[in-house]
Formats: sequence, structure tokens, C-alpha cells
Amino acid sequence: MHPFILMALSLPSWQDEWPFLVTGLALGGVYALSGVGMIVLYRTTGVLNLSFGAVGAFGALIAWQLINHSGVNQWLAYLVCILFSGVLTLAYGMVFGRALAGRDPLVKTTATLGLTLVLLGVMDLLWTSSGGASRAITLPTDNHGFMIGQVQVSTTDVIGLAVGVALTIVTTAFLRYSKLGTAMRAMANDREITATLGVPVRRVEAAAWFGCGIVSGVAGILLADLVALDATTLTFLVISSLAAALIARLSSIVITFVAAIVIGVVDALITPIQSLSNYRDMTPFVLAAVALLVINRHRVISISQEGI
Amino acid sequence: MSKYKDAPRVRLSFALAAAVGAMILAGCGSSSKSTSTTTPAPAPAPSTTTSTTAATSSSTSACGSKPGVAATGTPINIGTIDTHQPGTDFTDGPNMINAYFACVNANGGVDGHPLKLFVELDQTQPAQVAAAAKQLIQSDHVVAIDGVFDLLECTIDQSYWKSLGIFEMDAGIAPECWSTPNSAAVNMGPRYSSDGAVQYALASEHASKIVFVQSNVPGTGYIAAGPAALAKASKVPITELTENVPITDASSVALNLVDDAGSNGSVVLNFTPPEALVILQAVQKLGLEDRVKSWGCSTPCDTDFLAKALGPKWDHKLFVNAEATDADDHNGPEMQLYKAILAKYGSSVAGGIGSFSQFGFLLAKFLVQALDTVHGAYTIKSVNTAIEGIKDYKSEMLCQPWTYGNLALHIPNNADYTVTPESGKMITVQGCTSISSADPQIAQYHKVASAHGVASGLS
Repeated sequence: MHPFILMALSLPSWQDEWPFLVTGLALGGVYALSGVGMIVLYRTTGVLNLSFGAVGAFGALIAWQLINHSGVNQWLAYLVCILFSGVLTLAYGMVFGRALAGRDPLVKTTATLGLTLVLLGVMDLLWTSSGGASRAITLPTDNHGFMIGQVQVSTTDVIGLAVGVALTIVTTAFLRYSKLGTAMRAMANDREITATLGVPVRRVEAAAWFGCGIVSGVAGILLADLVALDATTLTFLVISSLAAALIARLSSIVITFVAAIVIGVVDALITPIQSLSNYRDMTPFVLAAVALLVINRHRVISISQEGI
Repeated sequence: MSKYKDAPRVRLSFALAAAVGAMILAGCGSSSKSTSTTTPAPAPAPSTTTSTTAATSSSTSACGSKPGVAATGTPINIGTIDTHQPGTDFTDGPNMINAYFACVNANGGVDGHPLKLFVELDQTQPAQVAAAAKQLIQSDHVVAIDGVFDLLECTIDQSYWKSLGIFEMDAGIAPECWSTPNSAAVNMGPRYSSDGAVQYALASEHASKIVFVQSNVPGTGYIAAGPAALAKASKVPITELTENVPITDASSVALNLVDDAGSNGSVVLNFTPPEALVILQAVQKLGLEDRVKSWGCSTPCDTDFLAKALGPKWDHKLFVNAEATDADDHNGPEMQLYKAILAKYGSSVAGGIGSFSQFGFLLAKFLVQALDTVHGAYTIKSVNTAIEGIKDYKSEMLCQPWTYGNLALHIPNNADYTVTPESGKMITVQGCTSISSADPQIAQYHKVASAHGVASGLS
């Protein structure tokens, strides 16, 4: 764009913008991790797990507690975080998953919101922010990295993005080619028919819930380092990931990943534009709304009434 | 009966929209809690920090007139309203006041009367804050409002306190905590503390530009007006920015701040400790610490939590305004008493030693001193006359004596320290320094105080 136009619109030049592209990719990777994790569970159980962020936050705070107050080796603490997240999510799935299996998607989703609020309350109680308390998890990989121009890219940034890519590829392949993955997809389509075909439904469900929990634990640790170790922040970070999942119409893992990256990059690129900067939290919603309008532009929803 | 074709996707979209809406609402959800405590010499509690432990040997008997004699008279009811919501928890303030009251009650009380604190917690809802004030007066029959640590209270309840003749003492946030006749704060609050941080960057770091950034919440214009006035008086350009909290893209925020400030500029933050930490850690990860001349922060950053979490790269690089004496650096009789009370009675003070508990200590101490001057019954009138009459109460924790007085506005704490991280602690790098009268509010306070014969600056 011509420099005069950029100046007239108060837009930064490309030279000023491109470091934000780098930070945006890291942010997008973070969103992708959560988005893909949620889609995995949705595609297998039909449950949109809004407690994904809260479970990861709880695990990360436990890891922080173990490292800073019990002197536990940090890698062991991270392992505890991941296992805790897996077990907690599995426990929720086993207790409530079956009861809610035949219910409306809204009921299933709202039920996970209940878990979110319980966890948020417990975290606020156990790890209060009173008295200026502030916490942080610093992964050893933060101290290694490389420069892109004038921007330091840490190994943790790369790991965040790489885990998102790996999760996308592995999950897609797993659901398509493995026996368990096929069973999961079948169960998402029709739980009853899948059960009558001899698929051990409860065990498949348990695997899906546990897997989702493990991913939330990994995401919790990475997000605590890359974003913040704060219960509220991590809990509500899933909103951006939800938007990515919505753009993918809750079906495509690859599109979820790409949408999350785009949301992160656009969010970051808007930062230096002062007139728009304070509105950049709207980015996920605006992009989701635009994407859904475009995707559904030829779609016709017909509603008919019978038997009145 | 209705039949919806393509229903699953449509219904799920509604479900998703409803769920996201519910999550957002949940983040703003409310609950209120009211507690009252008469604290008759509770059992010693475990300390919360190593510094506190070191002070356990100090005597707590100095907090009362009759050491070791429990107060058994009619309780004197005191009320407070405090913010307690996810992400903003100010309960360390009232918890410290309760600790101080417990100490007083165990050592003779106020002329034999124990002190009873009624605590109303709120979630930043104006109606809730207004109802809490009426609850304290009409149901709990409190005679004084002391120890308000709240985002909104000063704004909402001022006219009510004025109508009742109540002079509240607080550690506030809202502008009305300093700009009204019926409120006086022991702290400086976000505006004057930001003034202090900007003043340090201008005078000591000789910054050629200031970038002042704070949370995007109501009242930012009022806060930013102070730093803007100081920068203007020094003929230094200033950029004022706001950021939505919680911050989720700290790396972009950090890059933006550094780009705006330039190599000879200073960035001054006005955030809660968790948000400030998020930005500063992003700066560190991106290797941007040395891309500006200096970093500054208002008082909330004055916490050892932050110093430990940041690590040595920020030692003498980040300069934080401190509204109260650093408890690690000073250990006079009053500071020893504070630490001893915290160790013995302050198990519920989650943050341990820090500015919140220091302000709680001061608010309790000044109230007890004022109550000691009351003759006769402890009524709203007699107690608030004593509070309004507070003049030149000295404290090791403040740079100057503290006065209430019959003034149109109150900024009795208008001189501060500057601290910096060093080896996981905050240490003092600049002693008591007056906030510049280039801030028109400070200038007005000095003028009003002078007209009423009140000493308002450093002696």
C-alpha cells in the first residue's frame, strides 16, 4: 500500500507490522491447541467441552504449587498436571457423560459450563489473587530460541505451534485410520446403533474424555507459560478457540487449526493500530460471524409445521 | 409439532452462542457475602511468609492499653465494603484489620470495648454496593466505615455517608476516595501512584518520551490526566494507551509498547500484579527489556511475588512507585508490631507482608487512635467527629503525618518511595519524594489544606 495511504489511515508500515506476524503465529498456535482439543471430544462424544480451559488452568496451578511450595521436580509437576487434567475430565465424562448422552447439545454444553464454574470458584479459593499475589510458570525452553529480525522467538513458542500441528495431524489420522478412531466417529453419529454393533461404547467414551483431558493439561502448561498463569484468563481463553471451532462448523480439525492461526495473526496485526487496538478482542467473533455468513450463503433452512 | 430440517447444526449454533454468552455472564457473575467478626484473642496462627516468621517474637501487646486483658464490654461495630471477585480480590485489607482488631481485643480493647468488624463483599455492582452501605448502617448498626478496599464504593456511597455525617477511611481506587469531603484514603491510588512512577522516569531516568498504559476500564481518563500533566510540565511527549484485561496476547502488547516508547523513552504500567507480570514476562521472553530507557509501574507492582516471578533481569531496570514504606527495608517499632500482628493473628491475610496488609494495619491503627479520643458513648456522631479530627497521626509506613480534617478533598498521602526488584525482593531506590504539583489535583489539595492550616506536604 502507498505510504501516503498508510499514513492517512494511521496504519503502520509492513516493516513495523511483521514482528506482530511472528507473535500472532505463536498466539494462533495457542488457540489452535485448545480448538483442536475441543473438536476431538466433540467429534467423538458430541460434547462441546467448555471446561477445557478451566481444567488445564487447574492442572497448571497444581504444577505451580508443586514446584514452588513442595520442591517437586518441574517435569514431574507438569506430568502431574497432565494426568490430573486427564483424570478429572475422565471422571466428569464417566459421571455425567452417559446421563447426558441422549440430551440436546445445549444441555451437554451447559453441563460442562457447570464444571467450569465449579473449578473457577475452587481455583479462586485455593489460589487467591489477594494481596498482590501473581504467579508464573516458566518452562526451561523459554531460555532457548532464535531471532527473527528483531524479535526473539523462544523454543516454547515453536513447541506451542508444533504441538498444535502435530495434534491436528495425529488426531485426523487417528480418527480416520484407527479402529478406536472409527468407533469414536461412529459413536458420535449414533451412540445406540454403535452399541448394538458390539462396540464397547463406555470404553470408547472414556478414551475420548481422557484424551481430551490430557490435551487440556498440555495446553494448560503451555498457555500458562505463553499467556499467563491466571485462572480467569486461562478459563476464558477457550472463547477464541471456540470461534475457530465454529468457523470449522465443529467438524474439521484442519480448518479449526487454520482458523485459530488466522484469528491469532489478525489479533496481533491489529495491536499497533491505535484506532482499532482496543477492539481486537472482537476478532474471533467478527471472523466467526463473517465465515459463517460466507459458508452458509447458499444454505436454505426450511421449517415446516406438522400435526398442529 | 415442529420439524426442523438441518436442525442439528442450527441448534448447535444456538447452543454455542448461548454457552459463550453464559460464560461471559459467568465471568461477571455475582455473589455477595457478609461476615462479621468480633475477634476475642484467637489462637496463634501460622505465618504466611518467612519475613512474618522472623517477627513472631515481637510483642503484640503494644496494640492495646491493657496487655493480656481481653476486652469484655459492649462491642463497637465497624463496617467495611470490599471488592472480591475473580481476578480482583481485595480481602487482604479487611482481613488485616480483623487481625489488628483481634490484637486490640486481646489487650484491653478500646476502653474495655471489643471491636467488631462487619465486612460486606461486592462484585463491582453499584446496586450491591449501595445495598451493602445500608445493610451496615441499618442492620449491623456500625458507627464507622473503616478499611474500604473497593473499586466502586467511594463513587456509589459518598452522598449517603455525607447525609449521615460519616467520614469513611479507605484504601481506594475510585476518584471520589480523594476528591470528596467524606472520604480520606491512606493510599495514593492509581492516579497519584502513576504520577509518582512517571515522575521518577522523567526526573531520574531522564526519559525523552513516556508511554503510559493501563487497563481499559472506566475511569482511565481520570487516572491518565495526572501523568499527562506531569509530562506536559516537563515538555516530554506522552502516549496514553489502554489494554483490555485479561491480556491474552502479551507479546504483541509488549512489542507495541517498546515501538511506541523508542530507545530513550520509558514505559509506565498501571495494572494489577498479574497483568503487569504478563506484560513484563512477555517483554523478557522477546528480549525487549533494553529496547527502552526504563520501565515503571504504579504501586500494585510493589510486591515480592512480582520480584520473584520476574527474576534478576529486571533488577534495577523496573522502577515501581511505592505508597508505603518497604517492610523489608524498615524495622522500627511500628513495623515490628505490624509483622508481629500479622504473624499471630493474620493467618487469613493471603498475601502476607505487602501494601494491602500495611494499609489495613494503618486504617485499623488510625481508627483505634481516633476512638481513644472519644468521650462518652460510641455513636455515629461521636466516632465520626473523632475521625474527622484526625490530625498529624504519624506512622513509619507513610512519608508524612496523616490528617483527615474538614476539607473539600483529601490527598493526605502525597509523597512516595520508588522501589526496584533485587534478588527476588523489592528494595528502595528513592526515599520520600513529593508528588509534583504539576498534577492539578495535587496542587488543589495543597491549596485547600493550606487554607485550613493543615500541613499537606513533606516537612
